[in-house]
Amino acid sequence: MTTSSLVREALHLSRDRAFIGWVLLTLLLSALAVAGGLREVQTQQETIERLLESDREDRLEALALHDDWGMAAYYSFHLTYHQPSDFAFAALGVRDSEPWKHRVRMLALEGQIYERDAGNPELALIGRFDFAFFAAFVLPVILIVILHDLQASERSAGRHALLLSTSGSTSSPWRTRALLRALAIVIAAVLPLLIGALSSRTEASVLFLAVAGIAAYLALWSVGAYLAARWERTSPVILASLLGTWVLLGIVGPAAGKLAVDRLVPIPEGADILLTQREAVNDAWDLPKEATMTPFVKEHPEWSDYAETEQSFEWKWYYAFQQVGDQRVAPISEAYRAGRVARDRAAGTLAMFAPPALLERYLQKLAGTDLAAHLAYEQRIRAFHRELRNYYYPKLFREEPYEAAALEKLPDFVSGS
Amino acid sequence: MNATMLLAREEWRFWLRSNLALATALLFLLLLLTTVALTALRITEERHTREHHQEEAETTFIAQPDRHPHRMVHYGHYVFRSPSPLAAFDPGLDSVTGQSIFLEGHRQNSAMFAASTASADLGGFAWLTPALVYQLFAPLLIILLGHGAVVRERESSTLATLLAQGVGGVRIVAGKSSALMMAVQVMLLPLLASAVIAAASGEPLSAGMMMYLIYLLYLSVWGAMTLLVSILAKKRATALAVLTALWLAFTLLMPSLAVSNTARTLPIAGQIETDLRMLEDLRKLGDGHNAADPAFDRLRRDLLAQYDVETIEELPVNLRGVVAEYSEAELTETLNAYAEQRMGAEQQQAELLSLHGWLTPLLATADASRAVAATDLSNHHRFLREAEAIRFEFVQGLNRAHAEKLDYQADVNRGTDEASSRRARISAENWAVLNEFRFTPDSVSTRVANAAPALSALVFWFLALAFWTFLAGRRIAV
Repeated sequence: MTTSSLVREALHLSRDRAFIGWVLLTLLLSALAVAGGLREVQTQQETIERLLESDREDRLEALALHDDWGMAAYYSFHLTYHQPSDFAFAALGVRDSEPWKHRVRMLALEGQIYERDAGNPELALIGRFDFAFFAAFVLPVILIVILHDLQASERSAGRHALLLSTSGSTSSPWRTRALLRALAIVIAAVLPLLIGALSSRTEASVLFLAVAGIAAYLALWSVGAYLAARWERTSPVILASLLGTWVLLGIVGPAAGKLAVDRLVPIPEGADILLTQREAVNDAWDLPKEATMTPFVKEHPEWSDYAETEQSFEWKWYYAFQQVGDQRVAPISEAYRAGRVARDRAAGTLAMFAPPALLERYLQKLAGTDLAAHLAYEQRIRAFHRELRNYYYPKLFREEPYEAAALEKLPDFVSGS
Repeated sequence: MNATMLLAREEWRFWLRSNLALATALLFLLLLLTTVALTALRITEERHTREHHQEEAETTFIAQPDRHPHRMVHYGHYVFRSPSPLAAFDPGLDSVTGQSIFLEGHRQNSAMFAASTASADLGGFAWLTPALVYQLFAPLLIILLGHGAVVRERESSTLATLLAQGVGGVRIVAGKSSALMMAVQVMLLPLLASAVIAAASGEPLSAGMMMYLIYLLYLSVWGAMTLLVSILAKKRATALAVLTALWLAFTLLMPSLAVSNTARTLPIAGQIETDLRMLEDLRKLGDGHNAADPAFDRLRRDLLAQYDVETIEELPVNLRGVVAEYSEAELTETLNAYAEQRMGAEQQQAELLSLHGWLTPLLATADASRAVAATDLSNHHRFLREAEAIRFEFVQGLNRAHAEKLDYQADVNRGTDEASSRRARISAENWAVLNEFRFTPDSVSTRVANAAPALSALVFWFLALAFWTFLAGRRIAV
């Protein structure tokens, strides 16, 4: 491809009004997606800030009403949250459908961790227009539409042979033309992303990986569309075949994959976790105290010297059976988590064969909005809950006198993003 | 045979000769049938599981031994939302809303365990349902079949012949649209199958017919749009490109843009945030576990006056139970006020989103479809409200038993030793206060009423496009 042919094609393109329209549309949609993502992330951040403040106030108010450790632990909730990353604006991922904030207290965690403060399901069902969706699903269609009839249109217009003979080689005018078209679309799509990344101070390496992934993905579609366009068929056949491929790779394949994964990788039912937990916690009231204290001490040998109970109600026993409730469902709960991990892993493998799903998952991974990040957040909630227990247990078991000042040392939830 | 029918037959002949049209139509029907079968299977399984869990939860509750009644208030109960029969066609919100709620005293828990939480994530469209196949892909097939209807004749110069023979533009449009409508009818057969399956599990057939009507309208909108573009376009390739662009805009872009716009225009505070405000209100009500809480002074005085006694011990009812019942009622009032506020805000969002149905027929259709399938937001809210009614009922039933069947002295002294703890129990017969819970869909007329706003947008789309196509048909020229 020579410079002069490049210039000739560029000039030709700049006069193609339909094409300019597509480029502007791409630019607009990309900007909308990025702006929407940025705004959503900002809203989430503001919500977290606001919640942190009112969470603290609420806790202080609740604590002020009580003067023993057991009541303090019972009535004070703690906010946990999953801070959006600096790239979350590009791929909102599970933040749309899964809760990214919980308030937990010292009671059995298994009864609390599955609470869903997850926003309006009506909106979650369709999903927001974020950049990942735009890039993975919409951009290929745009590329298909602008690339599919490069040759067929000239062929039907009778200029095919003429163009070929004036350009020298068989493929070069189409190759240049396709390349320039695809390039213009890619630039129009990525430009708003770069601006969004600058404004939310995305880490350079993340941004680089994202842009590289998007470029590779769009190159794949462009090459596919270019090759299909060389096919000596009418443009409707070419377009239908390309759209069919898009439907197959983007929707039908993934749907079949999802179905297969959900069937083949079993996962305990959520209801079983809840029912088992409730039975364990409630039975404890009627069982002899040793039935609680023995398994508790097994997990926490450091309290074995303090495990004797004398009265019919003691806070240490109460919180011990909350923990034993958690211990009892731990196998199911762990299986539930492992099942989700396994399903996610299987989905990741299958996504290798479904480029749109692959790109979406890739961007969500970079943005920390994939299932793995959500599960990591769940683990942070668990870790925090452990800290909370470690804070209160010494006070409850050693029967330390209540001291409001000591509450300042209550653990704080730290959000790694 | 009149000219219209002849034209329609010609169109079908053309499709049957075209490998592309045949292959695509077959693939579409195959995809549709598979989805219909698999979704029906999944939803039936889900219904069985959830109904089973529901029965189990009820039996477990009733089977609890003699206990202190307040223990049962905290022991709590579970309710499960079982999917409506037409969910097998359009599961709607079923997969993104929690399916079960734990009901206990003093709290309204959120619905937990949405199927989407545990399912493999393979992109936004991977949860393929028959409804989605119709909404997304049926228009593509219609476009593929119909984009050439008129422009093809124009390109091959047969249009001039037709017009010269005195076949008017309106007649041509009538013929082409009859052919397209027959294709639409064939495409809708699997929907009818879904409706019959749903009817077999107790859904009135009228709901299924309503669903049929919605999708008939939706596909007719696309049929009219396709014909219109085909009439106006000069080249077949242009018609196809324009229609693909319209499809891209209406089915892929606008719905999610509408969601973004809705979330931005009407933001709602999350549950934790409103709960924090609520907790502040609740603290003012007093702690129902503590009958000595000054918040209940008046209740105590009134009660003593009512029974004309001097001390709490002389009361014929257990003060603790009375306080528990009174404070639960007060607290529930606050809880409900906040819950209603949140649901109202969600409903407002849903209505705003639904308004976008005037901008894209897909949203209008999806909305009406969910409403008729009883898998929309209002149905989920009804589940939440019914669950709350069950909660309040059994908690108050237990509190009344606490007041009437448990001696105050025994209650106060229950902590002294094992024997006194045993005395502070009531018989397990009292657990029968729990009512059976079966979540059933709204009546068909209510559902249709819910679908009405979206449906009117859809009818508008149809009329506008049909009229425009008719006008363009009258002016068909070579």
